[in-house]
Formats: sequence, C-alpha cells, structure tokens
Amino acid sequence: MYLDLSHLKKRFSEKEVVQDLSLSLERGQLLCILGSSGCGKTTTLNMIGGFLTPDGGRILLDGQDITHMPPEQRPVTTVFQSYGLFPHMTVLQNVIYGLKFRAYSKAQAREKGAEYLRLVGLEGYENARIYEISGGQQQRVALARALIVEPKLCLLDEPFSNLDAALRVKMRQELKKLQRDLGMTMVFVTHDQEEALILADYMAIMEKGRLVQYGTPLDIYHQPADSFVSGFLGLDDLLWQPDGSVWKVVKKEVKGESPC
Amino acid sequence: MKRKLLPLLLALSMVLALAACGGGQSAATPTPEATPSAAPSAAPTPEADPTPEPAPALSGTMKVVATSEDYVALFDVFTQETGVKVELLSMSSGEVLSKLRAEGGTPSADLWFGGGIDAFMSAKEDGLLEQVTFDASADLADTYKDADGYWFSKGITIVGFLVNDALAQELSLTAPASWADLTKPEYAGEIIMSNPAVSGTNYAVVNALLQTLGDEEGWTYFEALNENIAYYGKRGSDPLNKTGAGEYAIGISYIDRGVEAQAQEKGLTIVYPSDGIPWVPEGVAVFKNAENVEAAKYFVEWLFSSDENLRMLADIDKKDGAKLVKPSLEGVELGYDTGILMKEDLSLFGSQRTEILERFETLMGDKAADE
Amino acid sequence: MNKHGTSAPPPRPQGGGDRCGSAGKGASLDALFRLFGRGADKLVLLTLLGLVCLFVLVPIVFIVLRSFRGADGLTLEFYQTVWQQYRDNLWNSVFVGVCTAVLCTLFSVAAALFLATRQRWGKLLCMAILLITMVSPPFVSSLAYIQLYGRRGWITHRLLGLSWNPYNCWGVILMQSISFVPLNALFLNGMLEKLDTGSLQAARDLGAKPAAILRDVVLPLLGPGILVSLLLSFVRSLADFGTPVIIGGRFSTIASEIYLQLVGYSNLEKAAAMNLFLLLPSIAAFFVYRALMRQTDRLAQAGRSRQEALQLPLRRCGAAGVLILAVSLLFFLAMVLQYGCIFLSGFLRSSREGYVFTTQYLKQLFTYDRSTMLRSVGYALIVSLAGTLLAMLFSYYMERRRVPGRHFFDCLVTLPYMIPGTCFGIGYILAFNHPPLKLTGTAVIVLANMLFKQLPTTTKICSAALAQVPTSLERAVRDLGGGQWSVLRDVIFPGLRPAFLSCFVYNFSSSMTTAGAILFLISPGRKLAVFKLFDAVQVGEYATASLIATTIIVLVLAVEGSVYALTTLGARRPAPKRS
Repeated sequence: MYLDLSHLKKRFSEKEVVQDLSLSLERGQLLCILGSSGCGKTTTLNMIGGFLTPDGGRILLDGQDITHMPPEQRPVTTVFQSYGLFPHMTVLQNVIYGLKFRAYSKAQAREKGAEYLRLVGLEGYENARIYEISGGQQQRVALARALIVEPKLCLLDEPFSNLDAALRVKMRQELKKLQRDLGMTMVFVTHDQEEALILADYMAIMEKGRLVQYGTPLDIYHQPADSFVSGFLGLDDLLWQPDGSVWKVVKKEVKGESPC
Repeated sequence: MKRKLLPLLLALSMVLALAACGGGQSAATPTPEATPSAAPSAAPTPEADPTPEPAPALSGTMKVVATSEDYVALFDVFTQETGVKVELLSMSSGEVLSKLRAEGGTPSADLWFGGGIDAFMSAKEDGLLEQVTFDASADLADTYKDADGYWFSKGITIVGFLVNDALAQELSLTAPASWADLTKPEYAGEIIMSNPAVSGTNYAVVNALLQTLGDEEGWTYFEALNENIAYYGKRGSDPLNKTGAGEYAIGISYIDRGVEAQAQEKGLTIVYPSDGIPWVPEGVAVFKNAENVEAAKYFVEWLFSSDENLRMLADIDKKDGAKLVKPSLEGVELGYDTGILMKEDLSLFGSQRTEILERFETLMGDKAADE
Repeated sequence: MNKHGTSAPPPRPQGGGDRCGSAGKGASLDALFRLFGRGADKLVLLTLLGLVCLFVLVPIVFIVLRSFRGADGLTLEFYQTVWQQYRDNLWNSVFVGVCTAVLCTLFSVAAALFLATRQRWGKLLCMAILLITMVSPPFVSSLAYIQLYGRRGWITHRLLGLSWNPYNCWGVILMQSISFVPLNALFLNGMLEKLDTGSLQAARDLGAKPAAILRDVVLPLLGPGILVSLLLSFVRSLADFGTPVIIGGRFSTIASEIYLQLVGYSNLEKAAAMNLFLLLPSIAAFFVYRALMRQTDRLAQAGRSRQEALQLPLRRCGAAGVLILAVSLLFFLAMVLQYGCIFLSGFLRSSREGYVFTTQYLKQLFTYDRSTMLRSVGYALIVSLAGTLLAMLFSYYMERRRVPGRHFFDCLVTLPYMIPGTCFGIGYILAFNHPPLKLTGTAVIVLANMLFKQLPTTTKICSAALAQVPTSLERAVRDLGGGQWSVLRDVIFPGLRPAFLSCFVYNFSSSMTTAGAILFLISPGRKLAVFKLFDAVQVGEYATASLIATTIIVLVLAVEGSVYALTTLGARRPAPKRS
C-alpha cells in the first residue's frame, strides 16, 4: 500500500479524538474523509501532515515511516481551510515558495510557477497581491502552491468551505481533473457528503473518533454499514454515470425516510 | 460659533479644576485659589478681582520659588508671625527666568529666593522685578544689594576645588592648589565643571577670572582649561556628585558646610585656590505684578531686619556669607578671610553675561566637535 | 410587535405614567439627547474640536509667533542663528534618532519574539518585566546606567575592573533604545499573538525550516509593526532631552540644547525657533509613517488572539535565532539589573567605607512628600479618565463621521507627540497667562497639558480598536430607531472596551512619569512626584530620586492592577447555562 495508517490514536486531555484508526490507500487515488464536525477527521489529517504527533500507531508513506517526521521534512503538503497564503507576497511568490527548499534556481522556479498557475487557470495573475484576488482565486493559489513541490501526498482540509455554492461545484470538477491528470494521491477532508461522493475514489466515514465505514462510493452506496451511514449520506439522491462514478446528487424537496 | 463656545469651555475648565483639587488634595493643605467663587467673607484670594481694596496688608498665600526646599523651616517661622501661608517650589534661577519671560508680566510666584545674582540682574533689566524699600536696608553692604532696591543678597556662594583622594592616588595626581594648576596636562580629562550657562557658581568662576586676568589672558586660560575638562555638566550639582562618586578626580564646585560634610563622608579634599576664590551673591527679589506683592515685600524686610532670622537662614544655608551681606550681624562668623575672595565688579556680571556665555559656548563647542 | 413602534421620532403622547423616570440614568441621558436632537451631537463635536484647538493649536501658534518676535517687530534672526549654530546638533539628533530607532527596534523585535515563544512561567516572567519597565520614570534610568556601567560602575569597574568613559553619544543611544523597548515589544507581541497561524503552518508544510519561517513569514508579517516601532522610536528620541543631559557628556542634541537654552540662557525666542527646527525631521518621519501604514494596513489581519505560545523554536532558527535569543536575554538581564539598581539605590547610602543600608530616605519621603504623591495619583486619575473619554469621542468623530476638516484635526492632535515636552509647556504658559484664559498657576493647565500631550497615542489606540467594530452595527442601531447617542452608548463605547484599558494604562503611567512638559507649569503648592524627582536629580540626591521612582512604579502598577481587575471582573458575566 502507498499510504498506510495503522492503529492511530490521539487524545486531547481526557478526550479520545481518534481511536484506533487504520486505513490504506493506493497511489494516485483520492481519499475523502467524511464526517460531521468534531468526528476527528481534521485531527487525522494533522497527524498525516505532521502538525500533530499521534499517541499511538504508525503512518507509512511509500514504504517510509513518517510518524515522527516534522512537517517540513515530510513529502506531504496541505491545502488549508483558511488557505494560509502569505499576504505580503505576490501570487507567484506564494506559489513558488516551497521550491526555495528544493534545489531550484530562481529562473526554474519562476518557469514552473507559471506552469502551475496555468494549470489552475490563473495565468496573468503572477504579480497580483493576495488581497487583490477573489476567494476562488486564492483557493487556486493555495492548491498550486501545494502541488508545485510534487509531494507524494497532498492533503486538503475542507478547502472549498469558504466558497459559494456555484464556485464550489466548479472547483470540485477542476480538482478532480487535476488530480487525475497529475496522478496525485490526495486525502480530502470534508463534512459535505455531496462533495465526498463526487470526488472520492475511496471514502472513509468517521464518527466520534472511529472509522465507521471505508470503501469506494459505490460499495458504500450498495452496502451502507449501518443506519448512520445511510442517513448521513442520504443515499437515495444519487445519480450514477454508466462507468459507476457519481454524476450528481439530487437534493430532495421533501425529507424522506432514511432507508434501512 | 467661537463666541458660543467660550463660556462652555470656561465652564468645563472650571469643572476640571475643581475635580483636580478634589483629587489631589486628600492630604494636602487646602489652597485658597481652589475655591475661587466660594466664601466671599474669606480673605481676598490672589485670583480675586485685583481692584484696590482696603484689605489687611498681609494675607493669603505667598508663593516662593527657591533654590532648595530646605528653606521651609525659615518660611514656617514667617507664617507663624504673619499668618501668611507659604508655598515653596524649588527651581533653578535659569528656569525661573525662562518661566518669568514666558509669563509675560503675570508671574505665578511672588518671591524669588536664592540663585546666582546674574539672573536677578537680567530680570531687573527686563523689568520683571518689584522695587523694595525698607529702613534696615541701610545696614546692608552696598556691594551685595541693588542700588535701586530691586534685588538683595541673602549670602554669597564661594567656589573651590573638590579632589577625590582615592582616585587622585590611583592616578598619582597631586591635588591642584590654584587656578593656574588646573591647566597642567596631567589633569587632562579628570576635571569636571558645570556649564556656566546653567550654574551661577561656575559663571562666577568665568567672570571673576576674566576680570582678574584681563580679557586676553583670561580667554587663553579657559582655552587651556577646556583641554582638561572632561565635560561640562548641565546641572550645577554635577561636579560635586561626580567627584563624590569617584568618576572624576577634580570638580570645580560651590563650597559650603553641606559640601564639607559630604567631603568628609566620601573622602574628598576641599581646596581653596591660592590665587583667589570666585564668589557670587545669592539673590532675593520680589516679582513685579505678583499676586501677593505685599507679603513678599514684607518678607524681605522681615528677613533682613532681624538678626535672628538671618542667623536661622545662615544655619539652613550651611554658610556664613550673611555676615558679609550685613556686617552688623552677630552670631555668625566668616569661616574664611575675605582677603582670599577675588576682586569682582558685580555690575559686569549682568552686563557681560550674554557675551561671555556666547564666547564660552564656542570654546566648549570646539572640543565637542573633536569627539 | 411592530419594529417601527420604537423608531417613531416624535415621542408618542403618553396618557398616564411617565415611563422615562423608571428607566434609569441611561434613559434620562437618552431623553436629553432626544430633546436636543442633532444639536446635542453637534455640541459635543464642537466642544471636542474647540478643546483641541484651544489646547493644541493655540499654544503651538504662540510658540511659532514667539520664534519670530525680535526686539522690534518680526524677524528671522533666530532661525538664522539657530541654523548657523545648531546644524551639528541637528545632525547629532538625527544620528542618535536613527541609531536609536534601529537598535531599539532590534531589541523590541527580539524581546517580542522571545516573549511570544515562551510558555507559561517564562511568559509570565518576561511579561512582568516588560510591564514593570514600561513604567519608566525619567532620569533615573540614566542614573542607574552610570551607577552600573560608569567609570566607577558596579559592573564595569567593581566587577570587571574597567575604567571607561560612559558619557558619550553611544551611551545616549543605548539608554534611549533600552528605555523605549517595553512599549514597542508589547505592541509587537500583540501583533504576534494575532499572527495568522495558517501562514506559519503552510510555510512549514512546504518545507520551510524555522529559520526560513522567521525570515520569510514572521518578520515580513511583522513589517508594519516594525515600521511603527522604527518611526515612533525615532520621533521619541528626537524629543528626549533627559538622557543626553545626564549622560551625553560633551555630546548634545537639539533637544538637550533647547533645554539648555531654557534653563541656562532663558532665551525663549531661540528655544522656540529650535523647536520648530526639530519639528522638521519629526513631521517628515510622521508623514512617511502615515503613507507606509496606509499601504501595509491591508497586510494586518484581523485575527483572534491566541493564548498558546508561537510555534517557532528560536534555538533552531539559525544565526538569526541565536541573535534573537542573545539580544533578548541580554535585554531582559539589563532591565533586571537597571531596575534592581534603582530599587536598591533608594536604600543605600554611600560613604567612604562603601554602601550602608538605610531607611532614612524612605522615612523622609513618607514624612514630607505624602501629599505630593497623592496629588500625583489624583491628577493622573483625572487625566486618565478624561483623556480616555476624549480619545474615544475624538476617534469616533474622526473615523466614523465625515467631519469636515478631519484630516487637519487628525494631524493637529498628533503634533504634541512630536514637540519636546519642555517646549509644549512653554507654549502653554505663553498662551494661557492672560485673561480671559488665565490658567497659569492653576491645576487645569497642568492637567490639560498632560492630557493633550498624551492624546496622540490614545486616539491611535482607539482608532485601531474602532476599526474592529463593524459599521453594520451602527447602521443596525440607527435602523432600529436609535440616535447618535445610542450608537455611542450601545456600539462605540462597548466596542472600545479593550482600548479603554490600554488608554487608561498609558495615560496613567505617562502622567506619573513625564517631566518635560510640566516642569514649567507646576506652581508652588502643587508639586507632583515627577517634579520632586527632577528636583532630587538636579540636586544630586540620587537615593531620594531612586526612591521616588520606585514609589511611582509601585503606585502605577497598583492602580493599573486594580483598574485591570475592575474592568475584567466587571466584564465577566456568568455564562448562560445550557440545559
């Protein structure tokens, strides 16, 4: 397995936030961790990113134990919920910041930066200031900044939660395409089931620090582990494409009974 | 618009004033001007309408600016005898003069007590002092009082050297015996004096030496001395304090019994220069247009008419100069022979001040620029 | 209920009971404001602007006029002599100002970073040192410097056996730098606490080591604060006369020469001209500051304060980290030594044999100067309350209301910050020594001088706090039927609550410790502690001076502590219980 979490545990004072979490992911796949707030999904992400040290368990990435590696040494990057863009730098400076620590000349870095800005559709914005561009554009800058260093794994922490509905749908499609094109392995944390079902190759559903179900969206659709999962996902409302991936989620007008 | 605003502002400032007194006065003695509009039966307050009123000559409060707060004992006696309350504030004579000039003829104090006579002379020239005449002034030596009665002297300050024994030994310096000695190269960087602009005593040194040596030789002397001066303190007490703390070996300072006591305690030797002691009278004057001129005038008379009061003053001052001011004074004896005092024409102190200080400033500046 | 019911402007005729009476004070003020309507609002504004004109503009105009007043008519002679005579001093002033600004900012940044990265006890200790040393009575720090590092200094001479000359421009620069640090460091620490952790995490995530995070993220984000520190230190240094007077030796700046003009030559005209001369670099610095602040304002993030320490291990920050650690430790050590020296000096008597412990000065102080101390506290309290209120109102009218000429008033209010205190004091005497505005000799002149000297800083604090209050709240109040007074009472004042404490603390400690402005305004019978302190320094009674300084520090901390306790306890309300 490319990414392998085994028996991860984390507690804050008395509360066990993550309890014995194990899951694994193939290279080039996108994993969505889905759950309501406080379920431990962001804590899990922070342990993979290196911002929190697990109290127990192990994280393997590409055969390397990274459990205790500081974030700056991990071949993992994160797109933060609040983006964490540097307000004192231009768009381009933001995007190529990570290259400073990876044997790139200034010219090379610029060239690559321009390439990734093109990739996320921000050509011509090189010298714009962060506070001059829109929220969606800021999101793309954060994405380009995380991807440009070609990490082995890219983490996304509810990246679309600050965007309006229409933009969110658009960004979703772009992200999925980008991930496919680059063959990037990603872990995506969200509380939005629609987002998870559309984006995910694999889904992990968490509740109160536990992994409730893990599998492809199709598996989970066909065999929800329990009433919580099916209720949480509202599985009746999915439209599927012939290739088996989710095409659309239809919001019901009237709240129906959850199928058991 | 402005017209409407003014009464409002006044009202506001009144409120502030009252609040201020309430806040600050919990333990202080009540000041009369704190209640400007209250109690019309009380003695006329200084801020009350200045129209002539047959009030008792002495009343209210006399505000005094003095060189030290130690005089409070003397003024307490005055209060007991006359019923005039006294408020004392210590200020250097330069500060007093600046404040006087800024106040433009409406001084906030009544009596000026102590400080180098040159400042008093300038104030007289600017028309800031009140003429005082009283019978006993005839007993005062002419040298030490203004012929027109604008200022009097309460004593004189004499100048000598202070030598820090321990430091002198460490640097293997012998104590200088005369003004001439001070220019010897061995003392380079070890002498401290105050800026003559700030210190009446050190101004007396400059003026007296210039008078004694003559202009040309005098200035040559100060140029030579300048080479040895570490720096010119901006406070009159610097030479005493810096030699006392052992920071510099030699200080040019005023000498009185207080200094003698400190010298004892801190291991300083006092040197009275063999080629003459510069001296300067310490002035007493009444401010023109002051709120309580009468009390201040009476104080001057009260002080100089009574030997007892002068003795008390000499005691507080820790020096005997009062004997020179009033030769008939008994119970105070001079601790030194008047013969060693330099011959000084005091009238030149005032008239030459600006010119001398300007020249001295250039002289000091040359050294400062070298650094 | 219909929401328009309350917004109907004309008071509805009430049949029987008078409802206003039962609603308390707020309501009666409301009623007053309703009665006068817009008039009351205008009246407050005009009073405010009138006060500013009277107590800032008028004295400055008088100083300016005086500088042109020759023996017969207008003259430029003072400017000519000043330019010829004091060019070197101006250069000295600017040199010291620049060096102090740089050095002080270096110290401040280091101390702030050190403080921000400490945990619990370390943080508490550093904070305590900064808060204590922020109360900086004039002159005594310089005396302590001589005491510790002078030719016979406890450290340089007794401990290290050195004998060197401490009286030069480097001593001045060092002392000024150190004494301006606490305020700057606390200000920068406030910025660090609000720093967006996202940027730090992102940089780390992208592979930045601590040194790189410091260089690429933390310091640039501190940029505006560093700028503020640089410029304010520069201006403060230009106006400071106490330090060069005491430890400058032969070195003198314009400010110390102005002091000399006033106490030595009593030449007001020349002193006034020199002041305006000094104003040039100050105003230049101020405009640079304004221009740069406008640009960098956008960088400032309205983040919430963190309580936990900044995640930035200084020890792993390379050379810069080592420098920060070394500088900040040195700074805190110097502060402990300096204040320890001040505290100790009040109880030591030097004699031929060495130092003897004594409480004689303490007894003297408590016998003769209790009333002076109490008066100081009283004045400081008045200035703090009135000054804070004035600053709140002023910032509200300037920031939120399109008052005509607000830029002019904004600049006007800042001027006293740039003028050396002695000169501002002289301006007050010149302006207020004649009827109908004869204030010389009263308490009002002293109080007003302190208040308006401090107003530049407190209005800045209030404006910054106001920026955090959304305008939508004001609109909401107006929309629901509240008038201007309701806006002030229900939105502006509550929104300025955090600023209140800062303003109060600043006003109070400044009022207790600034000497320059009031040296010439104090009248007999109204002595203040700082004046007493100045007097003791002048006469050379260092023990008394140190003791007064210590008392001032203790008093300031005690009063500020109680105000802090009162406001925070008052603000803490029982949390709503959840079922």
